Amino acid sequence: MSMNCNHDHENKNYSRRDFLTKTSLGLGALSLGSLISPVDAYGKSNFLNLLESEKQRLPHFIPKAKRVIYLFQSGAPSQLDLFDYKPKLNEMFGQEVPKSVIGGQRLTGMSSGQNTFPIAGSLFNFKQHGQSGTWMSELMPYTSKIVDELCFIKSMYTEAINHDPAITMIQTGSELPGRPSIGSWLSYGLGTDNKNLPEFVVLVTKGKTGQPIYSRLWGNGFLPSKHQGVQFRSGKDAVLYLDNPPGVTSGIREEQLSSLKKLQHINHADIGDPEILTKISNYEMAYRMQTSVPEVMDISDEPDYIFDLYGEDSKTPGTFAANCLLARKLAEKDVKFIQLYHRGWDQHGNLPKDIKKQAKETDQATAALIQDLKQRGLLEDTLVIWGGEFGRTNYSQGILKPDNYGRDHHPRCFTIFMAGAGVKKGITLGATDEFGYNIIERPVHIHDFQATLMHLLGIDHEKLTFKFQGRRYRLTDVHGNVVREVLS
Amino acid sequence: MTSEIFEFLGSLHPLLVHLPIGFILLTFLVDIFIKKKNNAVKGVITLGWFFSFLSGAIATLFGWFLGSNNYYFESQIDIHKWSGIAFVGIAFIIWLLRFLNFHFSRFFSRFINLTVLILVLVTSHYGGEMTHGKGYLLKNLPYVKKELNQKILLADKDNPLDSLYVYEDMIYPVLEEKCIACHNQNNTYGGLNMTAYESLIKGGNNGAGIMKGNPYQSAIFKRVNLSQNHPKFMPPSGTPMNYDEVAILHWWIDNGAKRKIPLVKFRNDNSIRKLVEEKYQLDLKEKSYLETLKLSVVPDEKLKLLNEEKFQWRFLTNENSLLDLKFTAKKISVNDLKSLDQIGEHIAWLNLSDCQLTDDMLSHFSKFTNLTRLRIQKNRLTDKGIKFLNDLENLNELNLYGTRITDASLEVFSQMKGLKKIFLWNTRVSANGIKSFKSLNPAIEIITGL
Repeated sequence: MSMNCNHDHENKNYSRRDFLTKTSLGLGALSLGSLISPVDAYGKSNFLNLLESEKQRLPHFIPKAKRVIYLFQSGAPSQLDLFDYKPKLNEMFGQEVPKSVIGGQRLTGMSSGQNTFPIAGSLFNFKQHGQSGTWMSELMPYTSKIVDELCFIKSMYTEAINHDPAITMIQTGSELPGRPSIGSWLSYGLGTDNKNLPEFVVLVTKGKTGQPIYSRLWGNGFLPSKHQGVQFRSGKDAVLYLDNPPGVTSGIREEQLSSLKKLQHINHADIGDPEILTKISNYEMAYRMQTSVPEVMDISDEPDYIFDLYGEDSKTPGTFAANCLLARKLAEKDVKFIQLYHRGWDQHGNLPKDIKKQAKETDQATAALIQDLKQRGLLEDTLVIWGGEFGRTNYSQGILKPDNYGRDHHPRCFTIFMAGAGVKKGITLGATDEFGYNIIERPVHIHDFQATLMHLLGIDHEKLTFKFQGRRYRLTDVHGNVVREVLS
Repeated sequence: MTSEIFEFLGSLHPLLVHLPIGFILLTFLVDIFIKKKNNAVKGVITLGWFFSFLSGAIATLFGWFLGSNNYYFESQIDIHKWSGIAFVGIAFIIWLLRFLNFHFSRFFSRFINLTVLILVLVTSHYGGEMTHGKGYLLKNLPYVKKELNQKILLADKDNPLDSLYVYEDMIYPVLEEKCIACHNQNNTYGGLNMTAYESLIKGGNNGAGIMKGNPYQSAIFKRVNLSQNHPKFMPPSGTPMNYDEVAILHWWIDNGAKRKIPLVKFRNDNSIRKLVEEKYQLDLKEKSYLETLKLSVVPDEKLKLLNEEKFQWRFLTNENSLLDLKFTAKKISVNDLKSLDQIGEHIAWLNLSDCQLTDDMLSHFSKFTNLTRLRIQKNRLTDKGIKFLNDLENLNELNLYGTRITDASLEVFSQMKGLKKIFLWNTRVSANGIKSFKSLNPAIEIITGL
């Protein structure tokens, strides 16, 4: 939330960036720019960017989903041990992966040096479930019960081979940092459905280790910073420094803020930095959040059977289960994009033991969330997504033992599932080969997935753009096709 | 070998026909513009007629070869052939008479010239139509509306998408344009009549016209797919069927070639769907009620009447005609509901959950004629209020969880035409009531919770 104005410079009317943006359009544009009173620009942000004029009237068509709950499984869960059933790997357990399967493709530096690539069939039992007959491993007993609500894509793929670029890719549409996150794009494009809460809320499971999660993943990139995700922490202060200091009443705070707003408007009239407007709206949002956040974070009203549904963890703040419950509450309050992060899926070694733990932490609450949304009617307009940033290899990283193996990163195929608004129920799209290595049917790229997500929210992903550094950007950049097969 | 020689000579016909045209026109010009006709001039004119006759005779002979290899049908050739022969015949007679020094009156001479000119024009026009296709002459005139190779099938109220059929609306018009001139009740070339569905399927002398489900055994499909140089390629002249038309024919035969396959069937087949959508400018996507609804823009001044502290709204499309509206305060009043009256028909989604909505307030809902989604859960509503919802015939999703309704409301639900989903978790509706409701109304889904 930095302000990019320059107090000590001689030029007091524009920040460096604004100046360059304006002058790049020619001096004519500069003089025109100064004719438009910055005060009038309040709320419209005529400066810096073509914010409103860039925005077509949204949504582009009637949306299926009003909000998204993205249960992000950071570290890349092993699709071969959870969803993608490959009996061939068990048959060939310990044998070398045929060269023709890998086909000279790039491997990560962590296992490319191995002398041998022994096939590691999953140690977990798979069974078909539901009327759809979806294969699920025993690791996810709760999710297995609701497979008829779910839409699996088993043919997801990405180019990124390591966590940081892969997560950045799936969150922002680019492997390089600096682009806005999905939630920011939605906040920018669709605005708010609840003035008292941010449009984009992030919940991170507490106490997990593994690959780091950092705030730029929910950053606004080049969009105005009011569109960035707001992380709600577990425990007493969900949002830091929100409460009034001792002795300051709500009335005093309100008076304070309105005086501050006046000063900021004067400042904005002088400097014309749009980030000042963001600052004002942030102060106002913070003030409203003083009551709305404690209200939404309070789970004391929830009956016991709801806690039972989400599992015993759900009473412990900061767990994945507790965050799932909060996600439901935020969805009830019409928060547009609710992003959960659960770390710890990066199992290069000791996979069978570790994945059990991970699955236990997430399985019940995921299923509970979907069921709870369903009985409240929220699944009609909420899209739930469960998935990581890439897949894991069919061969063992490190030494393969009869009861232990690890799996390296594998961007060429992985599985995600979705449920809710606008997606078909009880279907599986796409397939991998019998080795679970390459996609043989209906590949879905990250950009296709993002285009589909936007489509469900009523956005044509090619039309929601933002001009920055001389060209228009969008979430899917110059790629992406809506995956129509999953649309209901 | 001889047939190949004839074929070669026949192919020279389009080249040679230009010679008699040139000769006769030059002869006319000499006749008209040289006023003083001494013997030398007369000799030139006589010679002109001779060459017109000679080159015309050779061109006709070659034309005969060309016509006899079955590339064209008699009906197309007839006028061209006979007017050509008449031209040659007249040219011969005139040359002979001139050669014999027969005296032509000025009037007779003009009459002959005019007749021959007309014959030349007729012959060459019909020849041109065979080579360049029907209507070639005028199609490039700037003021003639170009016949674009794109037909626009408009689905509208009078002609909704499900009343359009693949055969009648897409295939028959193409056949009519390209085939039926030669394959009709009167001219059944090859024994084939394509005007009626039955006879089209039946085919002609070469077997089944259409073999349902099997394009590659359908004579018609095979013939339009031959190389264009092949003697049996159809149509033998004029513009051939283009890729889209052939693809649609293929799809139709493949899918059973029934007379009444509705256009909406394309929906399920991505390979052809895009092609059809682009060629015919159709949108085959299944439309919900709201997507077909045409409403005016919600007037700004009416929206401004909404209390911003109490209502949150947004548009559902970029036409700004449909609203998704939510009550955000703790307690709703009759006046709040009345403030919605003016925009009632624009409200598509309405969320009045958990705001102390009462039974009698539901009587205001009849103004919301285009409501498709209604969320009034977590209010103290009873069966008494539900009765008011009876009129909302476009409502397809109704959320009533956490209300106090009982089995009595189920009766109302079964009368609501558009209803597809009802949420009844945490209500007083009994499991048995739901069971019997489901057996009577299998199309309506009831979600009761866990």
